[in-house]
Amino acid sequence: MNELLPISPINASVLIALLPFLAFLIQAVLGKTQTSGNISLVAIILSTTLSLFWVFPAVWNHDQQTLKLVWFVIGEYDLNVGVLLNNLTVLMQLIVCIIALPVHIYSKAYMKADPGLHRYWMFLSLFCFAMLSLTISINLFQSYIFWELVGFASYLLIGYWFTKDSAVQANKKAFLVNRIGDIGFLIGIALIYSHVGTLDLTMLFGPSGVFNPSSLEHGQSLVIDTDASWRTWAGICFFLGAMAKSAQFPLHIWLPDAMEGPTSVSSLIHAATMVAAGVFLLCTIFPLFNATVLLLIAIIGTLTAISGAIFALGQQDIKKILAFSTISQLGFMMVGVGIGAWDSAMFHLGTHAFFKCLLFLCAGAVIHEMAHLKKHRNLEFDPQNLRNMGGLRKYMPKTFLCMSIASLALAGFPLTAGYLSKDSIVVGAFEWGAYHGGWHMIIPITLIIVSILTAFYIGRLIWKAFFGNFRFADLLNTDHTMREAPVLMLAPMIFLALCCFAPAFSLQPLDYHASWLMQGLHVQTAYPAIPSAHLYIPVILSIGAIVSWFIGWKWYTQREYPFSTGNKLVQLANNQFYLNEFNEVIFVNSIKRLSGFLYFVDRKVVDGLTYLFTNLIQSIARAVNWLDKNVIDGLVNMVANSTYYLGHLVRHVQNGQLQGYLGFALTVLILGFLYLIIK
Amino acid sequence: MTIETIIFYAFAAMAIGAGLLLVNIRNTARALFLFFVVLFAMAGLYLFALADFIAITQILIYVGGVLILLIFAFMLSNKELLKDIQTSSTRFISLANWQSVVLSITFLSLMVYTFVNWSQQMPGWIEQSISKGTLIQAKDNNIELLGFKFMTQYVLPFEIISIFLMMALIGAAHLSRKDNTA
Amino acid sequence: MITLTHFLLVSACIFCIGMYAVLAKRNAIMILVGIELMINAAILNFVAFSKYDKTNYGGQIFALFAIVLAAAAVAVGLAIILNVYRHFNTINPKNMHELKD
Repeated sequence: MNELLPISPINASVLIALLPFLAFLIQAVLGKTQTSGNISLVAIILSTTLSLFWVFPAVWNHDQQTLKLVWFVIGEYDLNVGVLLNNLTVLMQLIVCIIALPVHIYSKAYMKADPGLHRYWMFLSLFCFAMLSLTISINLFQSYIFWELVGFASYLLIGYWFTKDSAVQANKKAFLVNRIGDIGFLIGIALIYSHVGTLDLTMLFGPSGVFNPSSLEHGQSLVIDTDASWRTWAGICFFLGAMAKSAQFPLHIWLPDAMEGPTSVSSLIHAATMVAAGVFLLCTIFPLFNATVLLLIAIIGTLTAISGAIFALGQQDIKKILAFSTISQLGFMMVGVGIGAWDSAMFHLGTHAFFKCLLFLCAGAVIHEMAHLKKHRNLEFDPQNLRNMGGLRKYMPKTFLCMSIASLALAGFPLTAGYLSKDSIVVGAFEWGAYHGGWHMIIPITLIIVSILTAFYIGRLIWKAFFGNFRFADLLNTDHTMREAPVLMLAPMIFLALCCFAPAFSLQPLDYHASWLMQGLHVQTAYPAIPSAHLYIPVILSIGAIVSWFIGWKWYTQREYPFSTGNKLVQLANNQFYLNEFNEVIFVNSIKRLSGFLYFVDRKVVDGLTYLFTNLIQSIARAVNWLDKNVIDGLVNMVANSTYYLGHLVRHVQNGQLQGYLGFALTVLILGFLYLIIK
Repeated sequence: MTIETIIFYAFAAMAIGAGLLLVNIRNTARALFLFFVVLFAMAGLYLFALADFIAITQILIYVGGVLILLIFAFMLSNKELLKDIQTSSTRFISLANWQSVVLSITFLSLMVYTFVNWSQQMPGWIEQSISKGTLIQAKDNNIELLGFKFMTQYVLPFEIISIFLMMALIGAAHLSRKDNTA
Repeated sequence: MITLTHFLLVSACIFCIGMYAVLAKRNAIMILVGIELMINAAILNFVAFSKYDKTNYGGQIFALFAIVLAAAAVAVGLAIILNVYRHFNTINPKNMHELKD
């Protein structure tokens, strides 16, 4: 391959990013006539091929390669633009390509016959260009440009159905929340520039960069003090940027709303790539963070993970569940960064990209069929609502299979990719907690609880959507029935499903250290490894997952049976009764809390009462939701209101006359100059 | 004091004096003719900075184009032109708006202070140029050199500015068109 | 001997006169004239500095560009003023206060 292509990896990586841009331009020029998306598809296929067969093998585990061009000169300082290729950047570029390709193929079928299709392909190509360029930027300022562009493309795609009011609200919300983070990013850039005088990633964080602790040995004289307060602030500012992009608590509020966009977009942008850009940024600038910031990152990550998981429990909308699940998993990645094991974070980013993308694509297939049924029968129901689904396993077996695989991976079941990456974070957190001792252990324990909750909510989704009885089963007949998704949608799903298995990442499916990805990125952590943790944490997680699925199975599928159909199922109900009794005895004796849990459940099932516990969890979720709405949004509103009153005070200044405004602006300018002179 | 310096001061005084009168005079038509004087004086100052081509361009474009355009716009817009002349004849000069005066004078003193401070220590590239003697001399053929520069080093900005100028003119024509066609 | 500072001081004066016109005049055309004065002051600076840049001729070249830009600005500005006059029947900026809420 290397002989066939006479271009350097640098040029190839630029080409990878530019091809979608070219597609964007061509489609922008061709306008409405171009609805097939073939141009975007060809561009992304070429990009993926280049990335997979040429750039990635040429750079992975080799020396980093850079290209710098002077963009402009301010005084003594040249601002470079360029390309940085090392393990981290080529890996990210490859992940983006490999996720984008199936999504493009899938979109061809999923978005078929949409009236605004030419815009869709244009925006999608624009997004790919921005994201692929973001990954290989050499300069923080250059990163910032593409960071904004990615956000802009996401804004366009969330509001793709701009005639829908909720979509417009959602894209505004996403844009505004991201602005908060962007301010952080920008302040961080300014802080670094004013203290170090360069924004070049290789000079800042490279092997002999000023932030790299090992660069003292390389004869680098200018090494920044770790405890300098500006460094803490810069770290917090960058983290703020990553928080907004990666939907961390409390800036996660935009992501669930962003589900108003097409499902294929949600899978590419709001599950796999763009939201992971925050994590990627933190990994890129990791040497900047000192212990204070890392601790903050770990705490915020944990909060996000647990809150996302709890929110996901109370949702009825299939895409919202997945959105909260994404938030929760991003929290995991943040914890990975926070404990210093950013290789684990990147690993989880990679595996999460595959299975979460797949989950969304499957959900899209289901929604597609539901919407089709709704349109065909002139029914009024929400095609995304779980309550309207059930029993779809019979109609869409392949989708069901793919979704189950992805769910297993999400829950971290052994032999899947999710098992490796999630365990790497949880085990890492455990070792970190044990090393620091005391309350630090709360973080790994929370993560274990979250993992079990994860298994539960994704199990709930599967049980409710694919098991039980389909609500509209009697409407289906020979001339219209729920069908399997078309091949163009199935093929990407099957491809992604294959990537969800452990062998895609590691030949040794039970030990994450053996994964090629972890070996390529390996970082030395400060805390010692605890070998026994590698054994019992996965066991606890797997058992927890199985138990939670079991509970979910009983709650969400079995409850239908006694009421709907006849004899055979009454018997099943009886069996369930015995099982519940059995469970009750076992769990009361073993784990006090879980037994209380099950006792209530059993009573409900036995007595045919309403599903108290479900309601309980839902009301907790609602309470948290309320908290989210009133306290967090309330804070935002308070800021807005106080600004309003402040504005009210100086309103008479606002006389609408241009010259008056100009005068005020000039006065402020003069005062500023005076201050500079006097100082 | 050489004759050169005297002429320089004369031009400077003419520019500043006409400028001050221009902003304080009531009658717009007269102000526009004073603007003409300022532009001429400025062109003279350019000559002293050894930029003969700029001075010529200044006269061609500003006096020939911009000023004519301004006078036309003034005549098209101000129907009370004659009335304005009569009313303003009682008071030749109008000084209004003390805030603007204060702002402008403050800004001027700031700038003067900065320039005087700054000129104690010239930037490195000027010092270098003086020491190397690579200054523009009065006997240099500026126009030829400018032509070369435009067609070689600065050809891209030159093309861009041409297109920009064309767009601006088309835009201006479009804007000032009568509404009924739109 | 005419030094750089001489030019800078003259240009500062012209600039402030232009600024005063922009801030205080009650006629949109005069505001445009003020802007032109400010641009002229800037051109004077360009030209004055250009004396020390024989290799690039940057100052003079950009002075020419600035003149062209100013001409374009005047053309567009006057077109806007004419439209404003048609719309408001005045070109006194005091009477245009639709920016106010």
